[in-house]
Formats: sequence, C-alpha cells, structure tokens
Amino acid sequence: MCDVCGCGQHDHGHEHHHNHFVVSDDTTRKNVEIKKSLLSENERVARSNREHFDRHGILAINLISSPGSGKTTLLEKTIEALKDELKIGVLEGDIETERDAERVRAKGAAAVQLTTGGACHLEAPLVHKGFHALEKQMEGYPDILFIENVGNLVCPSSFYLGEHIRVVLISVPEGEDKPAKYPKAFKTSDVFIITKADLLPYFDFDVEKVKEEALSLNPNLKIFVVSAKTGEGLEEWFNFLREKVQEKKAAKVEG
Amino acid sequence: MHETSIAMGLLDSLNQMAEREKATKVLKVRVKVGKLSGIVVDSFVFAFNALKEQFPKLSKAELIVEETPIRYRCKGCGKEFEVETVFFPECPECGSVDLELLSGEELEVVDAEIEV
Repeated sequence: MCDVCGCGQHDHGHEHHHNHFVVSDDTTRKNVEIKKSLLSENERVARSNREHFDRHGILAINLISSPGSGKTTLLEKTIEALKDELKIGVLEGDIETERDAERVRAKGAAAVQLTTGGACHLEAPLVHKGFHALEKQMEGYPDILFIENVGNLVCPSSFYLGEHIRVVLISVPEGEDKPAKYPKAFKTSDVFIITKADLLPYFDFDVEKVKEEALSLNPNLKIFVVSAKTGEGLEEWFNFLREKVQEKKAAKVEG
Repeated sequence: MHETSIAMGLLDSLNQMAEREKATKVLKVRVKVGKLSGIVVDSFVFAFNALKEQFPKLSKAELIVEETPIRYRCKGCGKEFEVETVFFPECPECGSVDLELLSGEELEVVDAEIEV
C-alpha cells in the first residue's frame, strides 16, 4: 500500500497519474517540520548588524527610493550641514560603479561602495561586510550611518538590514500615485520624504493627497517635504536626525 | 527580482537541512506566502525551479506555495474579514478602521518531505 500518497495503488512500478513520486522499497520518506521564515538567514544577519550598531551607539538609516529620486543629493546636503557636529558614515548600494561613494566622500563623509553585481537590493550580509570596511576607513565608529539602497522601490523593502530608521523617498516628478503603487515600501518605512519640492509648481502633484494616501498605508510615518535646491524643509530633516542621534547616544549610556 | 534571492536562500537552507537529516533527496517543500509579503508567486516558483538543478539533492523538489489571504479582525466589533486590496481596509460590519492584521504577511517555510 502506498501510504504516502494514499492513492491505493500497490504497484509502484509506474508513474502515478497525479504528480506524486514513486518510492522504491528500500527508502523511507519523512516529513520535516521547518517553520522558518523564508528570509531567516537575512534576518539573522540583520539582527546581528543591529546589535553591533546599538553596542556602539550608532544610528543606522536605510534609504529606499526609485533611481533618481534624490537619495544621493539629499545625502550630500545632509553631510554638508552636519559633518562638523556628527561623524557620518555612508554605505552606498549600487549595481555597478563607485560614483555615489565618490560623491559623498567629496562632501567629507567616509563612504564604502557596495556593488551588488546585478542584484536589485541590498541584503544584510553585504551591509555587514561593508560596515567593517567602513570602520577601518574611519578608524572608529560613525554617529550616524546612512545605507543608501539600490535605486528600486520594490525589492529593498523586503530586506531588513539592521537599520533603526527606514526612509522612503518620492520625488515630485515621479508622480503622486507612488504610495498606492508601492505599498510595501510605505508600510515598512518610518519616514517618508517628498523631494524636489521646488518643482511642485510645474507638476500635478497634490502634496496633501499623497500624504493622506501614505498615512492610510502607515499612520506612523513621519513626513518631510524638501528641496535640496532651495533648502526648503531641510532644517526639519536635520533636526530630526540630530534628535535621533541624541536618543541613540542616551540609550547607549543607559544600556 | 528579489524572488530570485529568496528562492536561492530557500534552496541553501533546504540543502543544509537535507545534509543534517541525511536525506538522499528532497521531494517537496511547502511554503506560505501572504498577499502582503511582496512576493510574486510565479517569479518565485520560476526562480526555484531554475536554480534547483544546482543542488543534486534538490533537483526533483516540488515547491508548493500556499497563498494566504489578507485577513483582519475589527477591534471595535470583533468581526473577522478578508480583503483583496491593501488600501483603506475597513470593517464591513461597523465601518471601523481600527483593525488588527491576522494574516497576509506570511513568508514561511512550513515543512519538507524528504527521502532517507
């Protein structure tokens, strides 16, 4: 009796017609319970990244957006403004090239380029490796670590890297339908930044409507509207970062 | 495209499991994928089947994906209900938007059938 598939067939010399496997008599089948997340390996490394950041009082921020939303430009402005008061480290995720790392280094931050060689997102093990390279370059630890993900609004949102704050960016020219079309990026983020606000007069981009849709996906989102060009909204963003760095340091002292 | 890395991760962990259990072959693996998990099931199955050949013990493994629905419980009246979309979910009974997510975010390997 074939008690595995329960088909009632005693003869195992044929292929069963409904996609079951044929078992020969000298082998046994067994069922192994696994009950593990499909992302468990990534999550394990991400947790260890996070513990490492916490131990050294580092605030880690993961930036997610489409290509061209202004992640690197926002970083450049942020580094310019904060480099005299905070030690800033950057991990730059891209499929190819060192260009973004060069851009942020030119502004005075330490940076390590992570090239994924084709993958459309960063994973925790690559961040782990990159962070150790960054430590070496800095001969110490940053107060704030920016992880600039590969430009992609879909896949990065599934991979936790060990960050404390996840930031999703949408630029005005991309259009106001982005939260609705990429819900996961908004559901898993803590901060939402609308960039290129200086272009608002030229586009049909209803800021209030976009905010409302984003908040309906995730009521806890903190939202900033900024322009790297005019400087609008940047001071609020910098103050938010200052405050979070202080919280992190205080938590380390208490810990 | 992240389905490919997730499929590769699954194959790696199945291969380790097969070694640990001294299995000669893995025949089936069951996974649960929620509709809010961000995984496209067709791409995931495609990647799994394309990559499994690299692992001798897994080359015959059949991937069974169980898609779990988006289910909420209303914190107001206790009604449990299913929705199709992630947007503006509200209780069909009392209209409340204060809801607890019961299922939909699963991304879990449930079990596997092996030959030893």
